Amino acid sequence: MKTFLRILAGLVIIGVVALLAFIFVPVQRTEPAQALAADWEPAEGQGEYVLDAADCVACHTSDDGERLAGGRAIASPMGTIWSTNITPDPETGIGEWSYADFRAAMVDGLEPDGTHLYPAMPYENYRLMSEEDIRALYDYLMTEVEPVSNEVQETELSFPFNLRFGIRAWNWLALTHGPGFTPADVPELQQRGQYLVEGPGHCAACHSPRSKFMSQDGVTADEENFLAGGVIDGWNAPALRGEGSDLAKWSVGEVAAYLATGRNAHSTANGEMGLVVEHSLQKLTDEDVLAMAAFLKGVDGDAVDLPESFAAAGPTSLEAAEADETGSATAEMLASADPDMPLGARLYMDNCIGCHFATGKGAPEMFPELQGNSMVVGSETMPLISVILNGVEVPSTAKRPMSLRMQGYGERLSDDEVAELVTWLRGAWGNDAPAVSPADVAKVREAGEAH
Amino acid sequence: MTDLPGYPSRRNFLKASAAGVALSGLAAQAKAQETTPPVPLEDYDRAYLNADEWAFVMAATARLIPSEGDGPGAIETRVPVFIDLQLAGDYGSADDWYMEGPHVPDAEPARGWQTPLNPAEIYRKAIPVFNAWCEQTHGAAFAELEAETQDAALTALQDGDVALDPEIRDFFSILLANTKEGYFADPQYGGNHEMQSWVYIGFPGARAAYRAWPERHNEKYPLGPVSISGERA
Repeated sequence: MKTFLRILAGLVIIGVVALLAFIFVPVQRTEPAQALAADWEPAEGQGEYVLDAADCVACHTSDDGERLAGGRAIASPMGTIWSTNITPDPETGIGEWSYADFRAAMVDGLEPDGTHLYPAMPYENYRLMSEEDIRALYDYLMTEVEPVSNEVQETELSFPFNLRFGIRAWNWLALTHGPGFTPADVPELQQRGQYLVEGPGHCAACHSPRSKFMSQDGVTADEENFLAGGVIDGWNAPALRGEGSDLAKWSVGEVAAYLATGRNAHSTANGEMGLVVEHSLQKLTDEDVLAMAAFLKGVDGDAVDLPESFAAAGPTSLEAAEADETGSATAEMLASADPDMPLGARLYMDNCIGCHFATGKGAPEMFPELQGNSMVVGSETMPLISVILNGVEVPSTAKRPMSLRMQGYGERLSDDEVAELVTWLRGAWGNDAPAVSPADVAKVREAGEAH
Repeated sequence: MTDLPGYPSRRNFLKASAAGVALSGLAAQAKAQETTPPVPLEDYDRAYLNADEWAFVMAATARLIPSEGDGPGAIETRVPVFIDLQLAGDYGSADDWYMEGPHVPDAEPARGWQTPLNPAEIYRKAIPVFNAWCEQTHGAAFAELEAETQDAALTALQDGDVALDPEIRDFFSILLANTKEGYFADPQYGGNHEMQSWVYIGFPGARAAYRAWPERHNEKYPLGPVSISGERA
């Protein structure tokens, strides 16, 4: 009995010591894979380009705040996370950070004092970035960005997510890759695309599914679920690979046009992706955009046909597509204007057909195709309902300056009618997705403008 | 209007369209929204017109587009509500018209709106004058007269046989125009209740998308109308 108690006491002590060590022993920072030469300097503009490619502005600028001064609310399943001020202000920003401190944030998700960052900061992805790019970004933030004094709101998640030391264990599960980039065995252009997609672009943060620990299930191209589609804050971030995905149907040039201009022959970027196009992708060089498109198209090992150009300048005449075999029955029913059509179809006739047409094919570079549209048939119905109720805007981009605006129909359609319309859309032209209810619509209407 | 022999008259055209609509209209009606019935015209809370004016507008529009015969009349389509709301709004007060002088009310009609009065003021001034003429000529205010007498009185008004000051001389043509507008305008303005006039003439309303139809000659477009606010019929 005595021996047993002694063993028990020993175990308790070991447990307590381990817990204290887990909480208080500082986390080791990951060392650079290759050190830069002492006299290394970034190329002119490199740092700002990395900032754009990594879309830092998206989170670190609030709607009416100074650029990069933080304070934006990032919705997470655990609660609201407030982005930090990354201008070089010594008190409220990162002015006192050394390069090693900055690198630890990008690669290990650590603040200078060893506090763990919440993984809303995509260090899972940024740790794949090259030493040169991280360094160039640091130099840019420190020397070219004006310091802004802006004390941002403390992030206060509820228990147990407020115990940041717990992220240490999470990192053991999540950071199984990198640091640094490992190119796949593909042509150089696609390797460049892979780097941009995996690293700074952090596409997997939304477009890969999440594991049961909420880490990205598929951070690098060699993982099975890489870019296989995820759900973020009620939005489907559609799969970017595999049969049935939008990208499987688009050419390399069409993918590139979508990234650079927020629109292509089939679809338009709105919501979160619209912001990514507006703040990040449209600022990349044509070659980099093409590289990303080529990599994405080739990610399943298919041959990649590079276009000579994409999103060409000058006047273009784009014919609206005719209905295809799958969609022809719906197209003919609409064109017949038969008064006995279902209510959902009637509502489409009365409200939508002027732009999206009886074919459901929309108009190239203007109005998205609804047949097979990942937002129309997605598991999450909030975005489609919200677009119908509140309208949506496709941003102006350098190559396609006209922003595209769809009006909201919230005043014209009741919850019952929107439910009928959405349910019909999810089954039209060969679409095959479950119905939505008026209660689903009411929820979105109450939430107001969701994006 | 004289119908030329061999040409379809407007009335016959309307009749022909109505026959077609009667068939398809029934099916489409089944899909119309369930709406709460509007306030009866007798209990309508007037925005501009006073009680006598309201009685006149009800009676006059009922003769200009009568309820008997083919198609809905001004009363079922709530044209008086349209006129009341218009007179209470920008139109009545001529808000965005040039209304500064010089005014030459007796100018040639081709010179347009020359009276210093806005439409709301014309209704206010002209109705008592016309009612007084009716009392004098037919023994009662317009609204109290028999339908046939009302028709005669309106014809006299149209033909200029009722003495009106130059400032209000165009009253009949304004009333007639407003009645037609209330009959055919979008229901959001208070008239054309349940798009009855659109159904009657086969106008499909605010759908604005007929790409499949321009080359389908001599084929009837079967779908009922939709209003700007999304009402279906």
